[in-house]
Order: sequence, then structure tokens, then C-alpha cells
Amino acid sequence: MSRERRAFIRFAEFTRLSRLSRFSRFALLKLNELSKPSKLSKLFALCFLIVLAGGCATSSSTQYVRQNVDYDNFKRIAVLPFESLTTDEYAGEKIRKTVITELLSRGIDVVEPGEVTRVLIEQRIKSLGSVKTTDLQNTAKTLGVGAIMMGSVEAYGISSGISVSYPEVSINLRLVEASSGNIIWSVCQTSGGPSFWTRHFGAEGLSLSDAANTVVKEAIDTLF
Amino acid sequence: MNSLKRYILVSAVFAAVIVSFSCAGRGTPSFYIRQDYDFSYIKKIAVLPLDNLTNEKFAADAVRQVVVCELLSTGLVDVAVPGEAEAAVDKLGLKSIRALSAEQIKTLGSALKVQAVVFGAVDKFGEVRIGNISAPEVTITLMMADTTSGSIVWSVTKTGGGASFAARHFGARSETMSEAIIRVVKEAIETLYK
Repeated sequence: MSRERRAFIRFAEFTRLSRLSRFSRFALLKLNELSKPSKLSKLFALCFLIVLAGGCATSSSTQYVRQNVDYDNFKRIAVLPFESLTTDEYAGEKIRKTVITELLSRGIDVVEPGEVTRVLIEQRIKSLGSVKTTDLQNTAKTLGVGAIMMGSVEAYGISSGISVSYPEVSINLRLVEASSGNIIWSVCQTSGGPSFWTRHFGAEGLSLSDAANTVVKEAIDTLF
Repeated sequence: MNSLKRYILVSAVFAAVIVSFSCAGRGTPSFYIRQDYDFSYIKKIAVLPLDNLTNEKFAADAVRQVVVCELLSTGLVDVAVPGEAEAAVDKLGLKSIRALSAEQIKTLGSALKVQAVVFGAVDKFGEVRIGNISAPEVTITLMMADTTSGSIVWSVTKTGGGASFAARHFGARSETMSEAIIRVVKEAIETLYK
């Protein structure tokens, strides 16, 4: 006889002796039925799946891809310096470098960052936050590209969750078509919080650089 | 059998009461939408810099980027390049966009060649303590003004964030700050293009 079964019999005897209500005895009876291995294991498996499904780390994104645009024409693009909207003043530059690497790895030719900086200085563009469409079009013309990528970094650092710390990266990328001056692609991508295994079992989570690489990769995936 | 049903019913009601009183702020946004206005007329929008009513230096800029992204993702309107809107505001010499007059809205509209401008404020942006845990919380106000008449045709205030019941008690996953911003903006814009 299993230990659970013996415990149940002791409980049943206790309820009989102590004249617990019919409801309590019924509840104990159901508990006993559940303690049979097959049902119990099924219940545990179900609970585990629910917790796992509800607790996974996910990255979320919002994207826009303009229709009726031939994206094959953009074989060479320029990536402007990104705005850093975080306390890390170099976050924009770090993400920009990752974006350039990711684009190059997908066969997209990218103008050398130094060349872009030179043209921006020549055109006396000081603040990237207030770059006008005409400035973008002139920059694209000078650099000989069909589109310009702009962006910003909204989060780049280690955030504190309820019980653990985790890397948080959030970026916003936009592609502006040089000929029309329209935004033809836009994506907001953010890394999720800590994974289930990190929160509950102390498993090793992503590092900040890994999270940044993942976010950039997933953002670029929405277009190229 | 009746006892079992009663037991299940009582448990379900008890669980529902606990969960409903414990959920994170998922309240519906309060909003205004002008009924007699034809929103299909709006083809291009400019999102003006938002007012930052928090102590976070980049709160308004971060939310603005998400607003641009979410408006574009509806696929119903074009959005002017954010720098263009900023340059127009600078050119007009507007020190604060907190209280734009109808004339200023019209001038911005003709300068940016847009049918509507979106402006607003970030009222709250940061971590709040709930019991012994902290969670992100964001409150935004967005308004849309028609540039032909200069009048407000849509306005919404939305708060989001907080830790859910499951996160507080069972260690389930809770939203990050960035996710809270995206969700709040998305839910605010859904009131317009639902």
C-alpha cells in the first residue's frame, strides 16, 4: 500500500471520527482519486504545460511594410546614426553596427559609416531627430543609394524584474525611400523579459549583446 | 453529484473573484472620437513631439517612436518622417506644443502637407511599487487634430503596465517596460482604427 493511500485512510478515519461535513469527506474522496498515479501525473503535466506556456520569454514587434514597392531595387542602402533614447549614450552606435553587419550578411550592400558621417557633416545636419525629407533625399543622392535607414534605440540595458534581472533591448528601424521621401518599412522590436527557466530555475539567460543581436535579427527578418 | 457541482461552482466563483480583483491595469482607455468626422479623408499624418510630463529624459521620444510605428502598422495612413515634423515645429518657433491654437495646427498642416497632426503627452513612465514588487507603468494622452479646421477629432488617455495576478503570486512572466509602452500605444490607437 502506498504512503498516500495510507495517509488517505488515516484522514478518512479522522473525518468519520470528527464528524466532518459530507462536503469535506467528499472533497477528500476526490483528492484520493486524484492521488492515483495516472490522474495525478496527467494533472501535473497539464499544470506544467500551462505554466510553461504562460511563462516563456517572447519578443514582440510591430511592423509595417509598404505594398507596391520593389524592394529588390534597394541593393545598396545607407544607415544613418541611430538616436539613443537610453541612458547609454553609445547604445545607438552599438545597434547601428549590429544592423550594418546583419544587412551585409544578407547580401545588402551598405555604405561605409564614415562616408555617411562625412555627407551629414557636409550637409550641416546636426540633429538626427530633425532631419527633413529633403535632407534625406539629398543625402541619398550624394551617397548613390535608393533608400536610407534611420532608427532609434529605446531600451538598452539590464532591467530588474520581479525576481531576476534581464537584458532589455528595444529598437525602432525605418526605411525611407529616396525617390518619394516616404517611409516604406518600419519596425518596433523589443526583447522579452527573462525566460521561464531563468526565472524559476536560475538557468543562464541571454547576455545584453545576445539580446541586441536577436532583436536586430528579428527586426531585419521582417523585411529582408 | 450535486455536492461536486456545488464544490466546483464555489471554487470557480472564488477563483474568478480573486483574479478579477487582482489583474494588472487592463482598463479600457477613455477616449473621444468625433462622430461626424470622416477619418478616411486622412491619408497622411504628422506625429509632433510629445510633451514629457515625467522625470524620464527620453520618455516622450521613446513613446513617439512607437506611436509612429503603430500608426504605420495600421496600414491606413502614411506618417511624415518624424524629423520633418520637428523641423516644422522649430520653424514656426513653437516653444511648447502643450497648447496649440487652431491657427498653429492649420499652419503646421500646410507646412507638412498632412491632413491631421497627432500630439499629446507622456504622463507617467517608470516603475511603480505594488506591494513588495515593482512593475512598469505608462500613461499617455494622444490627440489628433484636423489641419483644415484646426479642431480636435480624436483624443485618448491610456494607462498600462503593472504586474498581473499570475506574475505576483505564481512567478509568471510580467511585461517589460518596452512591452508596456507598445501595448499602451497599440490599445490607444485601436480606439481610432478599430
